[in-house]
Amino acid sequence: MPMAMAMPVTTDCGSGSRWSMVSLKSALPPLASSIKLPCRRRTPPPRTRSPQLVRSFSALSPVNPLHSLGFSDMSSFGQNFTIIDNGCRFFAMRHGRRVPKLNRPPDQRRALLRGLTTQLLKHGRIKTTRARASAVRKYVDKMITLAKDGSLHKRRQALGFIYEKQIVHALFAEVPDRYGKRNGGYTRIIRTLPRRGDNAPMAYIELV
Amino acid sequence: MASSVDPLVVGRVIGDVIDMFVPAVTMSVYYGSKHVTNGCDIKPSMTINPPKVAIDGLSDQLYTLVMTDPDAPSPSEPSMREWVHWIVSDIPGGTNPTRGKEILAYMGPRPPVGIHRYILVLFQQKGPLGAVQQPASRANFSTRFFANHLNLGLPVATVYFNAQKEPMTRRR
Repeated sequence: MPMAMAMPVTTDCGSGSRWSMVSLKSALPPLASSIKLPCRRRTPPPRTRSPQLVRSFSALSPVNPLHSLGFSDMSSFGQNFTIIDNGCRFFAMRHGRRVPKLNRPPDQRRALLRGLTTQLLKHGRIKTTRARASAVRKYVDKMITLAKDGSLHKRRQALGFIYEKQIVHALFAEVPDRYGKRNGGYTRIIRTLPRRGDNAPMAYIELV
Repeated sequence: MASSVDPLVVGRVIGDVIDMFVPAVTMSVYYGSKHVTNGCDIKPSMTINPPKVAIDGLSDQLYTLVMTDPDAPSPSEPSMREWVHWIVSDIPGGTNPTRGKEILAYMGPRPPVGIHRYILVLFQQKGPLGAVQQPASRANFSTRFFANHLNLGLPVATVYFNAQKEPMTRRR
């Protein structure tokens, strides 16, 4: 008769060799309020509740020490590993995030986009991967909009982004003629065959 | 987003060089062993010699072939649009341009800056053309104007490819 823990209720004691957790559960403090599921609330949970057993380590260790004994009645996996990350603002999906990361840290990403826009404005049509082409559209449109404005402040802003100053001066000289009537959409992307080395989907991006 | 799937519309060949047409004749162009499809990449080193063009059609029909580059000298500033590379007329159907009369000698693509489109347009002639004057210069050619001038109408077949300047040294 392996009854090491408390024996509060006499109903299930002798029900055979199998343990039942019902009696133990009723004796121990309630479980549900101490497990925090990922939630949108930013305010910390109110402290007015009665103190639980192990509040501060609920992320990594099970709240109820009986769980570690591994009784099969509880669904142990979901209870053992609660993920808490920067104040309950964690989602496993990418819903609504619109910045393309291009598999690079932020400084390299910015440098890549600056280089691609410089080359596109210089050559007029470049061939690159589809993700990069659709990411660079925004920056090329921004540069052409700066050139359409034409003031000194905008010129200096463009000089701060584009790597070669000859291209900035040429851009500011010709954009009013070329794109004066067009409102936005200064580029076009044409999808093409994948690259041989890594089968990356490629695209031509060109100035309209 | 392309509203049409036709590669000639997507690549703006229809619009920049020619107008919308209905393809009536199949034309296959080969540079060496490479078959030219719309929008494929060809190295200029492979294009120094004129391509083999196989035109099918009735053998009593005559065709005119024009090869131009609308992106000269650079796609971002096509001040010399279009640059004409080759004009051959009086090609009998079912043969190739060697049987026709070469009005403008073939000049291979040499794109200085950027990726250029090279377009081969085939027109159907209503009758023998006789003596056709060479264009004064290769730059600022207009395929539409040329077709109107010779009363050729809309094209019957078109194909285009892309080419860019090869790097000087072999890329490792």
